[in-house]
Amino acid sequence: MKFTAVLILILCSLWAALPSPARTADLDLQTLIKDVEQQYRGRSSHAETVMRVKTAHWDRTLEMEAWSLDRAYYLIQILEPPKERGVATLKRDRQIWNYLPKVDRVIKVPPSMMGGSWMGSHITNDDLVKASHVDEDYTFALLEETDVFYLIECLPRENAAVVWGKIIYKIGKQPRVPLEIDYFDESMVRVRQIVFDKVQPVGDRVVPLRMTVLPLEKPNERTVFEYRNLEFGLDLEANFFSLRRLKQR
Amino acid sequence: MLFSLASRNLWRNRRRTLLTLMAMVVSASLLILALGVFSGMFEDMLASATEQYHGHMVLAHPEYHKRRDLFATLSETIVDAGPLRETADMIGRSPRLRSFGLLSRGEQTQPAEVLGVRPDRERRVTALHESIIRGEYLKADDSHGIVIGEGLARKLELEPGSEVVFVTQAADGSIGNDLLYVRGIFATGDSRNDNRLVLAALPWLQKVLVLPGQIHEVAMAVKDPMQAEAVAAGLNQRLPSSALVLDWGELLPEMREVIASYDVSRMIVVVILYLATGLGILNTFFMSVMERTREFGILMAQGLRPWAVRRLVLLETLLMGGIALLIGVVLGALMTLFMATVGIDLSGYITPVTYAGGTILPRLHAVFALDNFTVPSLMLLVVSLAAGFFPANRAARLDPVAAIREE
Repeated sequence: MKFTAVLILILCSLWAALPSPARTADLDLQTLIKDVEQQYRGRSSHAETVMRVKTAHWDRTLEMEAWSLDRAYYLIQILEPPKERGVATLKRDRQIWNYLPKVDRVIKVPPSMMGGSWMGSHITNDDLVKASHVDEDYTFALLEETDVFYLIECLPRENAAVVWGKIIYKIGKQPRVPLEIDYFDESMVRVRQIVFDKVQPVGDRVVPLRMTVLPLEKPNERTVFEYRNLEFGLDLEANFFSLRRLKQR
Repeated sequence: MLFSLASRNLWRNRRRTLLTLMAMVVSASLLILALGVFSGMFEDMLASATEQYHGHMVLAHPEYHKRRDLFATLSETIVDAGPLRETADMIGRSPRLRSFGLLSRGEQTQPAEVLGVRPDRERRVTALHESIIRGEYLKADDSHGIVIGEGLARKLELEPGSEVVFVTQAADGSIGNDLLYVRGIFATGDSRNDNRLVLAALPWLQKVLVLPGQIHEVAMAVKDPMQAEAVAAGLNQRLPSSALVLDWGELLPEMREVIASYDVSRMIVVVILYLATGLGILNTFFMSVMERTREFGILMAQGLRPWAVRRLVLLETLLMGGIALLIGVVLGALMTLFMATVGIDLSGYITPVTYAGGTILPRLHAVFALDNFTVPSLMLLVVSLAAGFFPANRAARLDPVAAIREE
């Protein structure tokens, strides 16, 4: 799910960079983005994912099922372990709700908790929200192009409420998939890296089935997402992603 | 001989002596009262600063003191371990687990600090049970009950009996969450507590946070808060390095400053008030010495040595100071007693003020402190002697021949 999200956001962000002022790299970027977009555009997706989190304090493995529609909607539901079965997260636009089956309540995550860890992983609630709006909050430039990959730098737009000082995407040429994403804080120190691998065909697409989040200031910690079943182009409507659905699933 | 002479001299001009005496009595007794109220205010502040939240001392892992690290826990057994159990003058030891999370009801969600406590132990350290304005305090066997600050209750529209959800990050990475029931609402006057603090059962919080048998701190109360620093130092020598006791002075450094400044401000008030009183005494005795110039001349002509004259005048002022002191202390004590038992309620005019972590309650309330009596008393005697010094000197330096001729 997160993986899908990242993929979607990449193409959205790249796509968003297109209409910006003319640059020498414009044509290349445009082509690149078109290719990536064609490859990854899934208006909707459904996935079964295993998330493995390793921190100094816990090792946890969660199995979950996720649905997404455009970049605005996600629904993620935990299947395993039994203690957390049914815990669910709904994202609509820039808001996040958690459903807690133990108390049968839906709780909206308040702004003060957006920086908090999502389900004990190295992904924050903010990542779930802001990552999908990178195109609106950043400007883009092609840093480097080799035979194998493109390196694209994203700098926050003025007045954008973002948490990162800079993001650098490394996108493979053949197949056209993301390889690495580096996140820099406001003092331009690289603080997080997301690495993609296990690139495999899924339906008519080729996608990396594993995504590893590395918090660089804690070298022994990581969160790994692995996709088991991934489908694109489902017949989902926006009203599928409702608070009621959050409870029902 | 000199003494009876001095006492007789004192009452020769009865009105003047009584008026001066009255000025001394009033200033001494009012000073004692004012200092008593002053002390009462500081005691309220220190009490609110310590008894609302920290207690007088807090034992925790050094990392927990520093960063409130969820994982820097101690075993709950430390509460009754030797060093804590054997410390004399310890009134209470309360094991606590702390969690920062969200309290949610309906559409409303508020950040909250939940303290997991054992109610029967906690009430010996903090006085929150005395600040309950609606409902009741936690009962010892209540597993899902909470008492909650008045401001937080208002924001979430909670009343005793209301249901509320607590959500936090548990120590195993999961989302700790559970339903809680409001039993009582407290109002301490300290907005930081009233808008944020929640008291819940320790075993419940241990379960929600997945920290079985663990606590973050032990809050402690001692008989004399002023001894907390020494007690903490003694404990730290006996405790392992994984546990550190901080006293209220370290937990609330501003409060320590406030208390330390009290001794200075007390001296300033005493000096200002007695300066005025001293000038009055000085005036009285100059008058009385000048009036008696001829009399002193005769006494000296009859063989009274100058030092004896000086001593006579000083004895008179001292005698007056002594009388004023006696009446002043009794009067001051009576007024302090009134303010200590009855006091004056100002809650209709002002709201509680929180300053340096302590809350100044909207009331005038005095406490008895030995220093508040000894300092004004001793100073009154010193001032009497100082004010008598110049007149006495003048009297002693009189030339008997010239003095006798004085009209």
